[in-house]
Parts: sequence; structure tokens; C-alpha cells
Amino acid sequence: MKQLIRFLVLCLVTGASAVTAADKILPYPIHQKQLANGLNVVTVQFDSPGLAAFYIVVRVGSRNEVEQGVTGFAHFFEHMMFRGTERYPRDKYNEVLKSIGAGANANTSLDRTIYHMTGDATKLETMFDLEADRFQNLRYSEHDFKTEAGAVKGEYTKNFASPYQQSYENLMNTAFDVHTYKHTTMGFFKDIVDMPNQYTYSLEFFDRYYRPEYTTVVVVGDVTPQRVNALAEKYFGPWKHGTYVSVVPPEPKQDSARSTHLSDGSIPPYLSLNYKGPAFSDNDIDMPALDVLTTILFSPTSELYKKLVIREQKVRQLSGGASDTRDPNLISVSASLVKKEDLQYVKDEIVKAVEAFKTAGADEAMLAKTKSRLKYSFAMGIDNPSTIANSLCAYITLTGDPESLNRLYAMYDTVTNDDLKRIAAKYFVPSGLTIATISADAKGGVQ
Amino acid sequence: MKALIMTFALAASLLAQEVIELKQPNSSKVIIKLQFRNGSVADPAGKEGLTAATVGLLTQGGTKEMTYSQIQETLYPWAAGYYGSVDKEVTTLTFMVHRDFLEQFYPIMTGLLLTPAFAENDFQRVMKNQQNYVDQVIRASSDEEYSKKALEDLLFRGTNYQHMVQGKSASVKSITLDDIKAHYAAVFTRTNLLVGIAGNYSPAFLTKLKADLATLPAARYAPPKPGAARMPDGVEVEIVAKDGAFGSAIFTGTPLAVTRSAKEFAALMVANSYLGEHRKSYGQLYQKIREIRSMNYGDYSYIEWYSNGGGNMLPPSGVPRASNYFALWIRPVQIAEQLRKQYEELSSVPIGHAHFALRMAVREVDDIVRNGLTKEEFEATRAFLRSYMKLYVQTPNEQLGYLMDSRFYGRKDFIREADALLAKLTVKDVNAAVKKYWRTDRMFVTIVTSTSEADALAKSLRENAPSPMAYSNAVKAGLPKAVLEEDDAVAVYPLNVKKVTVVPSAETFK
Repeated sequence: MKQLIRFLVLCLVTGASAVTAADKILPYPIHQKQLANGLNVVTVQFDSPGLAAFYIVVRVGSRNEVEQGVTGFAHFFEHMMFRGTERYPRDKYNEVLKSIGAGANANTSLDRTIYHMTGDATKLETMFDLEADRFQNLRYSEHDFKTEAGAVKGEYTKNFASPYQQSYENLMNTAFDVHTYKHTTMGFFKDIVDMPNQYTYSLEFFDRYYRPEYTTVVVVGDVTPQRVNALAEKYFGPWKHGTYVSVVPPEPKQDSARSTHLSDGSIPPYLSLNYKGPAFSDNDIDMPALDVLTTILFSPTSELYKKLVIREQKVRQLSGGASDTRDPNLISVSASLVKKEDLQYVKDEIVKAVEAFKTAGADEAMLAKTKSRLKYSFAMGIDNPSTIANSLCAYITLTGDPESLNRLYAMYDTVTNDDLKRIAAKYFVPSGLTIATISADAKGGVQ
Repeated sequence: MKALIMTFALAASLLAQEVIELKQPNSSKVIIKLQFRNGSVADPAGKEGLTAATVGLLTQGGTKEMTYSQIQETLYPWAAGYYGSVDKEVTTLTFMVHRDFLEQFYPIMTGLLLTPAFAENDFQRVMKNQQNYVDQVIRASSDEEYSKKALEDLLFRGTNYQHMVQGKSASVKSITLDDIKAHYAAVFTRTNLLVGIAGNYSPAFLTKLKADLATLPAARYAPPKPGAARMPDGVEVEIVAKDGAFGSAIFTGTPLAVTRSAKEFAALMVANSYLGEHRKSYGQLYQKIREIRSMNYGDYSYIEWYSNGGGNMLPPSGVPRASNYFALWIRPVQIAEQLRKQYEELSSVPIGHAHFALRMAVREVDDIVRNGLTKEEFEATRAFLRSYMKLYVQTPNEQLGYLMDSRFYGRKDFIREADALLAKLTVKDVNAAVKKYWRTDRMFVTIVTSTSEADALAKSLRENAPSPMAYSNAVKAGLPKAVLEEDDAVAVYPLNVKKVTVVPSAETFK
């Protein structure tokens, strides 16, 4: 605390710019440089001797899968990115990657695909060389393409063992009619089985999205912005800007409640209430306010949790939150129950708590504590380069700008009780609700 | 053996005075880890799951001063947290707090450990979830995790290593609040405790922590001798038949007489990394099964327990074990029912890919045992490991955890010492260690699969019947001749199968 006071005093002495820096949740400067081709390069220096996290975020995910029959393609394409180039064929790529001794992988979600390596900072140039090569010169045979589709099916097979995953797939399919959030990042199974036949489309996909204007390079750790920028220029400088503009059809307003049920008695009865929410924004108060609201209403300190989980013990786990995505997505409240007979009761209790909140709002002390919690949660987590790089990528995905991270946390401070009541009334409406249930019964039966 | 037990007991009593420190004056937080030498081997017979229940109640219950909800409310604005993890031989309680709140957090932490409430309503809540885990969650959430727990149940049958940390269906039902109170007093003592602290704390804070921990019971506790893995007569397969399973999840295990304590562990690390480094595409298993044939999502090998392999990319701390086994993990492969539905050309396949995949994996191990690694393969893999291992301890939490686990194995700093061992290693050492310790003629195998697949797969395994790879035409058309020829050899590769049983899912972990 003493150090904090000392820091605040220092801020007052050094003037306005220092005060602005003090508002930033990330206590390290974010260096950004945009190359002429549109590629953004982000560097954060962090005290991790000898270690650097090298992340590349491409703003393409299952959200971009607008054509029929190609759901799951952004994720499939992430797999194809490991199939080699002329200079680094698959075996050579693996050999060089192994020689770096880094932890390297990739993952895809709704709005983005991330490729990452964390390892020896002195090998940074090799990392740039490898990645810039495959981003510009990926080359795979039709046979490799068909073969890789089997690994994607294997991934689906692994995931499908979980009834929660099956329920989530049903939920998205039910809650959305037009928008591509209708399908999960894995895609519809029929499209996964058909993937081997989509070779030509895969070439088109690469041509559209693996372009500098869709991409940001993020390096965190024992590095300097000068070195990172120079390497970016050297290896990614020749990359050509593309022309494709992705247009995702907007979801029409939902006008009545929906539901989906999975009949499965192998796990505890499960209920999730999913309201249509807003898109992420770092300048509109709705999403920051929703983060505060859902933390207050559904965390282990909430009255609802204490009633259902601690006192009555009808619910095993309760959680809730809004999805941070580029387009409007769901605000979800989930409960794992002890008995299926309580599904309606638990739904009614959740709705009751939300309705009460619309008029009463939050206790002012709880509002302050929640803001504190959100900030300290973040501060506690950033103790290594990979976590920081991941956090930056999350906000680059959403707005294209890593400073959105700092802006969001600054906005938490401005959330008022009036904001909370207003957004509770705006988003928690019966006509925007989709109920997903799992139980041994043939029907969900929750009204 | 008596001498060994006495050494353990002596070591445990000395550990009470020892604190592993990781001072980080620039850090914004403090992490405290309390590692008790007990784990699920400390569960009394008939009360399997008792250590996990005790830890569940310590970490999800109240103290004499505060209820569970009051604790959560107090910690809420600080985002401070704590959790307990129980493995076979240790329990680790981890507390994390921002340095701004260390002083306020401290009495809550000591309250949780030293004066737990053991309240009846907390007990009811914790036990309901533990019962549900052993009854439902383990069977229904992930077939991969299920196959691993089923393998341990088979490999360690009849020993204190057999049961899941969470216990068995019947034993969890029998645990009472009094059992927990007695167990807490008996196996959470200052004589079997190792303390670790990392981050930004003062010497005065540490002095107080040590003084308070000295008030834990002084009664000497040493856990029972850990059960050893059984060596089967040949390849013994247990197929767990589950309604609606979408694929076949495979895990194998054979006893391994080497742990991190031994010098030879470094040699096996290299061989294992070459064969099947966890979640890496360089391993032979991954290359052959996933990369070339695309049969599943990944294939790996292990020379020690790897907790939550489906979620963790790097090996977590907190799971040190004295009883060890060599394992192969083949992630879910296709079953016949699915292949028949998906591809017209496969409409009459008798079984899915499990038999072929198992043969392929065993053949790769045999190949390394027979031929060893080349000098180049050895050099490349060793260089990789020497860099990659540093990533295990990227966070202060893992750095501290690894240092504490090092003590379990009689080491000071496993990461540093393993690097020194790797530096001295030769390809000869690696190939000799593989020949000495790896075998595939005697191993246990568990396969969690669909009820529709179980009997046909069991028959195929039992009869050592040829299991040709069933490709879709789209993939088969482009496969190189060498791959198809290798497939022919794999399809008839002999497995020393001596026993195959089919167990309905409901019958496991009873």
C-alpha cells in the first residue's frame, strides 16, 4: 500500500501524463508500430530474463464462415498452417521448431485464430523467419488437406464425449438464426465430414484472410521494440495487403423465448439461461457494466449463490457472464443442479434475482468491491509473458487495438448503479432468452 | 525396507523446519504452498477418498471465526484465492494474494488450516459433489480422462494406489464428518509438512508463518508405503463399454522402476520426448498416427503421471509419485459405427481404428527399444528438452511447485539438475535405458469405447486378428506406397494379448 501511495504522489508531481499511465491496468507500456502493408506490431517489455512470448493473432474465426457447408473452416485452416511451405516443408518446419525448444501451438475461436511460441528470446529471429514464411508462402497438397481433415474429426470426437459440449452446440444453433455465431468454432459435424472435399475453398480462405490487415504480431518479454520492429519489417514487410472485406450478416432481434434440451442422465441436471447481449465495446458502458453486474449477481458472494449453493444446496455450481465478442452474443447464467425436479425452481430464482436487481440495483459498497475485484484479478494473473500476450491478443481480436485492455479497465471505474439498473432492464428480457437444459427427461420442461 | 521407511519418517520430521523460499522483491503478490506428505495413499481401507474429502472441506468450508460465505466476501475485493490439490502421495494447499492484502489475508489462511469449522452443512455440500464426481463426472465428461483413471484402477489393483483420489462410489458414501476430523488431526501434521513461499514478503512475515505452522499437531505421521504397479503376464486389455461413446479412447501402462530421483530418468526423458512429447507434433507416435494417417487428435507417451493431460500443455507441479509407470496415450479414434455412417466405402467395416492404432503405437515403442535413437535424433531431442524444460517454471507458482516436488525426489532443483544430467548424457545412455526399462509385451491397456464397438474390438484383440486400417477413399487415394506398406505390417503386428475383458461403464470404480 505504501508503494501505491508513493506512486500516486509521484503521479501528482509529474503531471497529467503520469496520471493517465496510472489509470492503465497493464503496468507496462504497449509499443505499437504499423507496417506499410497494414500489419500491426505490438511489443511489451517484461522482466522474464531470456524468455519471450511470440504471438500472432489473425482476426478470422468461425464468425467469418458465412458460406453454407464450410462451418469449422477457420479452425481447420489453423491445422493446415502446420503443413509446410516450399522453404520449410512440414518435416523441416518441425525440425526447426524443435530446435527452438519453444512451447508452440495455435487455437481458434469465434473471432480469431492465434499462433503462438514461447521460448528462448535469443531465438526471436528464427521465430519471425518461420512464422513469416508460412503466413506468406503456405503450400500444401490436396492429399495433405484431405488427411488433415481426419485430425479435425478426431478433435470433434474427443470433445463430443462431453454432454456440456453437445448442449453448447445445440444452444448456439437455437439462439442464432442468421449470424455465424449459430455454429461453434468446431463447426457442424456434417461439414467436418465433408471437409476433405473443400480444397479449392481452402485456397480462397488463405487468400482472403491470411493478410497483414487481418493480422497483429505481439511480442512480450525480454525484447526491445526496436528489435521486434526491425525483425517484423525484415520478415513481414514484403507481405502483400489483401482486398477481401468480410461481411457477416447481422442477427435480427429475437422476439420470443426459445429453448433446447439434451436428454442425458449421465451428468447432473444442467440449466443455462442465455440472454442476447451487446457486442464488445471499449467506449460504450454497456459491456463493462455487464461484467460488473454478472460478477455481483452470480459470484460466490452473491445472495443468489449463497441461497442456492450454500444454504439450500440445490445447485452444485453457479456462474454467469457476458461473452466478449465482436458482434452481439449471449449473456449466460449456468447452474449444475442436484435434482432435475428443481430445474424450474432454479430458473425462477435466477430470474427473480435479476428482476429485483432492475429496480434495487447494487449495494454501493458491493459495487466498489466488485470494481476492485476485477482489477486485482487481472493484476494477480500477469506474472509471465504468455499470459500478458494472451490478454493483449484478446483485445486486439475485439477492436484491433491492444490499448482496449487499458480502456476497458478504466471504464470499470466509471460504472454507476444507474448503468447497472439500465442494462439489467435492457438485456435481461424474456423475449431475448434461450434456455438450454440437460436432464434424463425427454423434454426440458423449463418455462 | 524398514530402513527405508525410517529414512522417510526422519526426512518428514526434518521437513517441518524447512521452508523453500523464492524471494521476488519486484513481484506484486505472495504465494504460499503447504505440501503435506499424505495423499490418497493415506486413505484408510473402505474410506477411499477421505483425504480428498478432508481437503475439500478445508478449502470449501468455514473456520471457527468465519463461515465459508464470510471468507469469500472478505477475499472478494482482493481477488485473493486458495485451492487444494490431492494426488496419490501429497496434498498441496496453495494460497495467493496481492501484497497489498497479505496482512489481512493471513489470519484467514491460518484459520482455514489451523482452526477449520468442519461444519455439517459444508460437509453435506462438499460430499455431494465428491459423490457426484465418482458416480457421474468421471464417466461422462471426458472419455480420455476416464480411460486414464480406469488404467490406474487396473494397473494398481489391490494396492493403495488403485483408487481415484476422489475415492469409489461406495467408499465416498461411507465417509462421515467424524472421519474427516480424525483424518485431519492424524495426517495434516507439522511432521509431514513442507512449506514453500514465493514473491514479495518480509522476513518477519515468514517468521510468523513458521511459528504458526508449528502449532499443527506434533504427532509423527508418515504415509504408508505406496503401492507398486502390477506386472501383467502379457498384454491385458480392459474395454469399458459406454452407451453413446463417439470414439475409442486408449491409455496403456506398464510398471517403470525409475522416477525423477534416478539419474537414468534424464535418459528416459530424451527417449520419451522423441517417442511422444506431450502435445508436440515432433513425436513418433504423433507423426505416425495423427500427422500421416490423421486417425485422431494426438498421440503421446509418458514416463510419469501427467495431471489433466487434456487441459495442460506443460506438466504441472504437485503430483510427485514414487510408484511409476510408462504410458501411451492414444486420443479417441473412430469407431466402426461412425465410419460406416460417414463413408459408403466403409459401410461394412467390422471394427473401428482402435486395434490398428494400438498396434501402431506398440510397434513404434518396439522400434525404439530394438534400434534406439540415432545420434542426430538424440542431439536434436536433448537440445529441445534443455530449452523446453525452462518453460515448465514460467510462473512463480510453478517455479515454487517444482522446487517443492524436487524435495520429494531427494533433489534440490529438479529443472536445474535434470539440465545438468541432460548435458552429460550420451546416445548410448539413452538407448541402454530404453532397453532396460521399456517393454510392450507386458502391459495393461484400457479402452473406453461405445457399447456398439466393445465386443467386436474385444474379439479382434483376443484373436490377434488382422486389423487393416480403414481409410476413406479420399484419403487412401493419395497415400504414398510406403505408408500403405507400413499399414500392412501394422495390421498384423503381433500383440502379446493374454486377457481381454469388457466392463460396462456402470461397473467401473465400484
